[in-house]
Amino acid sequence: MSRKNTSGAAYGLTLLCPIKNESQGDRSYAEILRHYLETLDIDEKSPMAKAPNTYFARFYVLNDVFYQGYKFEEEHLKSKYLVFSSNFYGDRDTYIREMWNSNKDSVQEIWQYCVGFDEVGDAESFLDYVKRCQIDNTLFFNGSTDDSLSEQLKGLYLKQEFTRFAYDNQGANPKDLQNRFNEFVERTQPSNLDAPTWLPGRSDQ
Amino acid sequence: MSNVAGKSYAMNTVTPLNWRTVGTNKLVFWGAQLPLLKAALNGLTTLSLIHYARWAIVKPGEFPRLHPSQPAETLKYAYMFFFSNFNGSWAQYVDSFHMAIPRGLDLFWRKNLRYPKSVPLQPFHSYITYNQIWTNHYYNAYPSASSNDVKAAKRIKSGLEKFIADTGNASPSEFKKKYDTLLNDLQNDLSLMAPTPIVSMAAAAVEGRRKAAI
Repeated sequence: MSRKNTSGAAYGLTLLCPIKNESQGDRSYAEILRHYLETLDIDEKSPMAKAPNTYFARFYVLNDVFYQGYKFEEEHLKSKYLVFSSNFYGDRDTYIREMWNSNKDSVQEIWQYCVGFDEVGDAESFLDYVKRCQIDNTLFFNGSTDDSLSEQLKGLYLKQEFTRFAYDNQGANPKDLQNRFNEFVERTQPSNLDAPTWLPGRSDQ
Repeated sequence: MSNVAGKSYAMNTVTPLNWRTVGTNKLVFWGAQLPLLKAALNGLTTLSLIHYARWAIVKPGEFPRLHPSQPAETLKYAYMFFFSNFNGSWAQYVDSFHMAIPRGLDLFWRKNLRYPKSVPLQPFHSYITYNQIWTNHYYNAYPSASSNDVKAAKRIKSGLEKFIADTGNASPSEFKKKYDTLLNDLQNDLSLMAPTPIVSMAAAAVEGRRKAAI
């Protein structure tokens, strides 16, 4: 049967994390969590920007399932779920450990309202927890690339810089063009993935 | 709340299906990766507006139960979770899907309750709208880039690296000749990326609140 969480080196992680049916004052944990998620910083300040190799990630609170109307059974979930979906480069276990190690505080802030998370205290126990919440994909479609995030970001940086270079140097004589290109290479360091490059999540690069 | 991060939109749907059909539907997804049925999905690649998308079917007994204090689910239906990261607006995406891979959509949502089929468009719109769940937090590692930008960037990087290796000892005239060839090869990949125009009033409102808070 089909069970597909990977596409090349890209991984599609899907978690359904049950939220405790408890409350603080007149607000349920699910409501508090939803509000917390909605007021998180975005782009490069998103907690997910710190999780190495994350291409895309999202959270939503699943309150209930949808009733499809007459002729069908009306049914409801007994728990609300934090749904976490992440697309990243590499294997799941490394990713989850690095997510914990790079941003433990945010992980704890987000998952603190979930059933079973009380037992999580380090990267290994977080990984164990993730495995218990994971649902396997039936199909994972990769319409992009499966390169490491640093490779993708360096490529995007070079795309932007080389487009400018090509525009600025139209009609340059061969000697000037070669000199300017050498300066371009020295400045942009095409094979150096660490710098200069785009930063994860930055929208104004 | 926002389904939008830069140029990318996060779509989530959760749709019920009879658990008895889960085996067959999973077989369809498996078959969709085989050459014979893959043709029904060619449009996915041709559209080129999707970064990553996935489907996951959860049977009634498969909802995670992590502690005895958590009530067991008593569902009768299975549920299909769909996640997509794509460029453009909701309408552009749904309409493109409807036009490019109607057969593929009908295969994937086969036997989902009240699924109206992807053609005609209006009932399909209504079905997606009814079953869509809004994202509470969405992160995109490259908000200024489309899926095509990422793929073009890969070609530009490898093209540049090869060009640099090939022209290390070139004379200016040889260099210029190879440079022109490089530009010719990469001409479809060269473009400046910039923040996206507003495609969602909700996303624009989120952005406005964020700027006000800084």
